[in-house]
Amino acid sequence: MRSSSSFNERPYRSIMFITIAVFLVLAGKLFELQIVKGGYYRELSSRNHIRSVVHPAPRGIIRDRNGVVLADNVPAFTVSLVSVEFDSTNAMLLGNLLRMDQHIFRERLYAAESSPYRSTRIISGLTVEDAGRVADNLYRLGGVSVDILPRRRYHNSISFCHLVGYVGLADSTRVFVGELSGRTGLERILNQRLVGKHGVVREVVDAHGRVVERLQGGDVEPSPGEDITLTLDTRLQLTADSLIMSTGHSGAAVILDYETGEILVLSSVPGFDTNQFVGGISSDDWNRILNHPGKPLRNRSWATAYPPGSVYKTVSAAWLLESGIVNENTLPDPCYGTFHFAGSDFRCWSTHGRLNIIGALAQSCDTYFYRTSMLGDMDEMAEFSRGYGMGAPVTEILPGEASGALPTRELLNELFGPGGWGLGNLMIASIGQGEVLATPLQIAVTSALIASSGDLPALSLVIGESSSGRTWETNTSEETFRIVREGMLQAVESSRGTMHSSMGCLPVTVFGKSGTAETGSGEDHAWVTGFIEEPQPVAFAVIIENGGHGGVVAGPVAAGLVEKMLEIAHETE
Amino acid sequence: MRRNEKPDWLFAVSLFLLLSLGLLCVYSASGSQRGLFTHQLFFVLAGIIVFFGALVFPLRFLEESAPLIYGVSLILLVLTIFFGGGPAGRWLQLGPLNIQASEIAKLCVIVLSARWLPALKRESVPGGVSLYLSTVGVLTALTLLQPDLGTAVVIVMIVFGMIYWAGFGFNWIFLFLSPLSAAISSIKFVSWITFTAFLCWVLYRSGARPRRWVFFLVMTSVIAAATPSAWGLLRPYQQARLTTFLNPEEDPYGAGWNVIQSKVAIGSGGATGQGFLNGSQNELAFLPARHTDFVFSVWAEEWGFVGSLFLLSLYVVLAWRILVGARRSLNPFNSTIGAGTAVFIIIHVVVNVGMTLGMMPVTGLPLPLITYGGSHIITEMLLLGFSGNVIRNWRSY
Repeated sequence: MRSSSSFNERPYRSIMFITIAVFLVLAGKLFELQIVKGGYYRELSSRNHIRSVVHPAPRGIIRDRNGVVLADNVPAFTVSLVSVEFDSTNAMLLGNLLRMDQHIFRERLYAAESSPYRSTRIISGLTVEDAGRVADNLYRLGGVSVDILPRRRYHNSISFCHLVGYVGLADSTRVFVGELSGRTGLERILNQRLVGKHGVVREVVDAHGRVVERLQGGDVEPSPGEDITLTLDTRLQLTADSLIMSTGHSGAAVILDYETGEILVLSSVPGFDTNQFVGGISSDDWNRILNHPGKPLRNRSWATAYPPGSVYKTVSAAWLLESGIVNENTLPDPCYGTFHFAGSDFRCWSTHGRLNIIGALAQSCDTYFYRTSMLGDMDEMAEFSRGYGMGAPVTEILPGEASGALPTRELLNELFGPGGWGLGNLMIASIGQGEVLATPLQIAVTSALIASSGDLPALSLVIGESSSGRTWETNTSEETFRIVREGMLQAVESSRGTMHSSMGCLPVTVFGKSGTAETGSGEDHAWVTGFIEEPQPVAFAVIIENGGHGGVVAGPVAAGLVEKMLEIAHETE
Repeated sequence: MRRNEKPDWLFAVSLFLLLSLGLLCVYSASGSQRGLFTHQLFFVLAGIIVFFGALVFPLRFLEESAPLIYGVSLILLVLTIFFGGGPAGRWLQLGPLNIQASEIAKLCVIVLSARWLPALKRESVPGGVSLYLSTVGVLTALTLLQPDLGTAVVIVMIVFGMIYWAGFGFNWIFLFLSPLSAAISSIKFVSWITFTAFLCWVLYRSGARPRRWVFFLVMTSVIAAATPSAWGLLRPYQQARLTTFLNPEEDPYGAGWNVIQSKVAIGSGGATGQGFLNGSQNELAFLPARHTDFVFSVWAEEWGFVGSLFLLSLYVVLAWRILVGARRSLNPFNSTIGAGTAVFIIIHVVVNVGMTLGMMPVTGLPLPLITYGGSHIITEMLLLGFSGNVIRNWRSY
């Protein structure tokens, strides 16, 4: 009977011995914390004297393809508050010293109270004078601190307002109240990469908020965010802006390299100054932007879809050729200026007589397209155009990119009901009117695809990274591409071409297509698109809202951009 | 032979006191959320019912149902890996019940070890050692995948203690730990070579037969080779949890901050404490996770050094009485169950209190009988019920 007991005697003694030894170690540690250092810790805890101060990481810098800085950080003064150490009767004094808007000031104080033990930013981006007034009074403002913190600064901010976007106070603070995060544009889309890793320091402070000591251990050094290099070219972007502005209308321009897929210009005019948003925009400035007649908040280069008008004819011509309805030599009945069909008048903008498809593209004859497209299938045309990047966003990265639209049986049944529409819808769609909508970026992609015979790589906005959500399936033969390109060449080169007057005299070969899109109300939108091979292989699209005739109004903008490219090429040589 | 011995009063009193102090603690820590206290009261009452059930449960049935318990545990652990919910994905929702499968794994490993270890010590069963090590290894691995590294380590330590209790020497403990060591050593080639050399030495010293040599060398090599790819199979957030456990400084706003605050709370308790419901850190909601992982800090702040020592002594007395009963018990299964329970209690207290004192890594291990929560209280009361049973029926063989 005792055998069992003696059998377990040794383990019993060892386990009890180890247990008591380990508990004595715990008791020893308790003795150290509670008896030896008890007074110190009680003092600490009595007024919650440990605080975490976050040192924000500098945000990554955004540059263009030539290293021109578009967004960087400058040192600015920041006033922060640790709520539990702040005597709220001093709120009035602090508010006056900061000369802040009363409403915003109350809001920030409230935010500080919601995380009472952490340092919360009240205002950032102060000048030396403003910060100095607070610094002089720090002795009677417990819990308040003045720090130098990086502030976001945008260069050429009006030109890049939609693309780069701006930062603001984060909606949901992950780390600290007052944290910045990208609100719009690439600042928002690439926020995770730009933000870096924030540092943190733990400090023991006395009742007056003075730092007594830095708590050892647990400090984290801030590490800066990733720098981003865009494919955009600031020189061209600024040129595009000023050229569009000189027309006196709103508008947009897009240029992309069809050999690399890199986007060089994404211009939208008018713009607004993103620097106004960095420290929180005042209501006056906000109303000024909101009530501006040019609607600067509207992003015209990729987030607005317009009726493309005749610039769509390059795609519909390729479709007519590929579907076998016409070939290079097909000569439909002549254009008499108006085409009577099914009791309606389908107008052409001029009287062209008998043309083949090259002439129809060069002179932008609507009747040619009416007479031929009526033999085709609407859904097939939509599907074909989809392969050219229309009808859905062409990138994954641009925020709020518009899809555009393409008429299909399903869409028209939805809009007008079965029987509520007819062949006329297909006919006017073939000249880019009716239910066809596209963004300037999508139109530039169609020209890039024609220029590269469908070999356009995925679009890219950040150097070395593909930003495209689309692959292109033009389903177009080399022969068709050759014919469409010939039509676009004749639009510029032949004396009767719609772009001859504006781009015909340039010292390089230009392939182009103009468009004068009816808007239903107001003046027509003026479009041009096209591509050049020298000095750089680029495709372009320009729209001038309510500008009138495409070749006459938008053409000179495109011509100015080509001249700028020649100038840049000349400088680099 | 009398059916019942007189009750072990020290065991009963320390258990009763721990439960009562635990309720005080949770009441104070729950602050404005008094609903938590009501829940805890319910958990403790349920635990007491379970305790009395286990106190009269025939231990022979428990021994015989070890394989069944093992099967149920495996199913629950696997289900949790795929369907786990809750903040850390460790909870399995079964109808109205939220079950933490890793708690059941601890219970299972104690019953399983008690069933097998004395038998293996008494007589050599062909392949018995390998079978035992594999079953416990699978259970530990599944717990690790919950992911619950803390519990997995505790399981290993409990088995470690039970092997020792059953009379196996150091060599056995090393061989038992070899799968885990192999996995860890696979980080670097040099450490794996060192480990394998040491394994060979231990095998040689213990006079192992060729079959055992082959088993251990093949098993550890396979584990060491598979560990990197198994790591790759884990989802990124699971990897993050494991690395945060190993290096809490990685998460400066979370774990590191909690420990600093916990030390301030404990230290500010001083010799006699700030008094019930008067802890400034706690009442100002400055202490994080104060009704769960850091409940000891609340106690230490309110009752000081004297109260803390008293609480720790209660655990020592409880473990001591269980070990005394286990030593006296004539039935090897009963004896080993008791020892496992005692080791279970001791390890949990040391790891949890050590964490609040900043001496141990931050894990989610509860303070037995005190931390807010149902699963662990039921598990502990069940094991303590069995231990009471062991103490009571020490004569039964």
